[in-house]
Amino acid sequence: MTLSSTDLGFNPMAGNPLEAAFVGIAEIPSGRYPNRPFIGSLVEVAVAAVRDAGMQISDIDTVLLIPCLHSPDDQADLIFSRVVEELGLHGRAKASAMLHSGGSTSDNITRTAAGLIASGQAKNVLVVQADKWGSAPVADMVDMLSGYGIPREWERPTGLTFNAVGALITQRYMAASGSTPEEMAAVCVALRQWARLNPNAMYKDKDLTVEQVLGSKMVCDPIHAMECPMLADGATAYVMTSTENARKTHDRWVRIAGSGGCVSHYSIGQENDLATLGWKRAGERAYEQAGWGPEDADIAEVYDSYAAVLTIGLEGLGLCKLHEGARLFAAGEFSPGGRLPVNTNGGLLSAGHTGVGGGTALVVEGIRQLLGRAEDARQVSDCRRAVLGGSGGTYMDSQVLLLERVDK
Amino acid sequence: MTTSLTDEYYAALSRGELVIQQCGECRNPIMYPKYVCPFCGSTELGWTSSTGTGTLHSFAVQRVGAPTGFEDDLPYAVGVVKLDEGVQLLARLRPNADGNWDDYHCDMRVQFDTAPDEGRHIAWFQAE
Repeated sequence: MTLSSTDLGFNPMAGNPLEAAFVGIAEIPSGRYPNRPFIGSLVEVAVAAVRDAGMQISDIDTVLLIPCLHSPDDQADLIFSRVVEELGLHGRAKASAMLHSGGSTSDNITRTAAGLIASGQAKNVLVVQADKWGSAPVADMVDMLSGYGIPREWERPTGLTFNAVGALITQRYMAASGSTPEEMAAVCVALRQWARLNPNAMYKDKDLTVEQVLGSKMVCDPIHAMECPMLADGATAYVMTSTENARKTHDRWVRIAGSGGCVSHYSIGQENDLATLGWKRAGERAYEQAGWGPEDADIAEVYDSYAAVLTIGLEGLGLCKLHEGARLFAAGEFSPGGRLPVNTNGGLLSAGHTGVGGGTALVVEGIRQLLGRAEDARQVSDCRRAVLGGSGGTYMDSQVLLLERVDK
Repeated sequence: MTTSLTDEYYAALSRGELVIQQCGECRNPIMYPKYVCPFCGSTELGWTSSTGTGTLHSFAVQRVGAPTGFEDDLPYAVGVVKLDEGVQLLARLRPNADGNWDDYHCDMRVQFDTAPDEGRHIAWFQAE
């Protein structure tokens, strides 16, 4: 049997000049922007991220695209190469490709980019994402969200929807933890408090109370309408390079201290424990690699398409005690000014669910906070270490990135 | 959509039976049905009858936002059932006499309902 570096519990890239570094980010506001073009959004954030990295477009040699969900046609259209052509990189770019693992794509694409850089296969990688989920026809999206990611032979015939997937997880989490509907609603309220500080958030202008959440109509017991993520248009991008390259032009960048993952199921009906999923295993691998633990985290940005998905993630990652996540949200522990800032952009639930991009926005927010580049009211002071978590499909995988600020 | 795997499983459901795939070599029960045994890699796969009893791991009641073709089913409940054989599946749950699911709760005992679904290849469960 061959032992991988993960099994050995160290990060083989630490201190290596080819270790990956995040040097640029970009994002445009999330929400409903029916007149904002899809390709135009991809190009807009791509250019902005490259400029933010202090590079020229021509410096990019690899373009990795995060898939859109608003249209299977657009997803199948090989748009990663379209982006290359739109940017004038055709004939110069070495590679363009799309990688897909649903909501955890950004974590997996980051690992892929880091590997390409570490092995000398790529110098400067542009990761780019755009989605028009907020402007897509609702009926089409309801059908899509009861199709893709759900086994067609065994579970689609039951009428399962993604809201029901969230409800199955929430029901089990509430039973296991004893969390009340008020405490579950408090998760959404805390995320809204963060969204109010984020100019890119879909719900930046609207306060939210527990009473409003519980007063909204029941969509799928035990989930109310205001506990469902609102589908949104949005676009994000980031640029990764090697540490040796970052050092030449930057005083500060972000490195990957560790990463871990666990694919726990494909079918929601095959998940052994809906109240824990794969987070513990994923977190243990990542912390072992990084050489630091959850107690060292300054922020956490963890996938939150439903409140219980987030509390389960925080608990599995050791960022709070098992079964205490929702209660601690209700106590303000993860709100602005609380013990541990969580989902500081407002998360998918309040910044907007931009498809696969909801996870990308959390990654970009984590990098932004570590670079010290968030707006004053939202910036976490002396933010050095971030725990990032993503999950795809029916929360089929738990993917963890542990990011660290590096000052030259 | 039918495959070599769905034929047997769907036919059993139509007869009011719940069957589980079983590996002919390592004898492990398998759900959902697979092309290769996920335990030992064998392709000698057969079928066995389930007792149809188990516990409800979790459930959800869909009230609005049904996919195309399910609009007339609303409201309806789905649940993850852990069968006593050690395998699990997603099933539909029968409402109680009052037409709701108020007396369902996690970890309660449930049993397979042998009345077949008229239109769909799905397993129905109810309180034991």
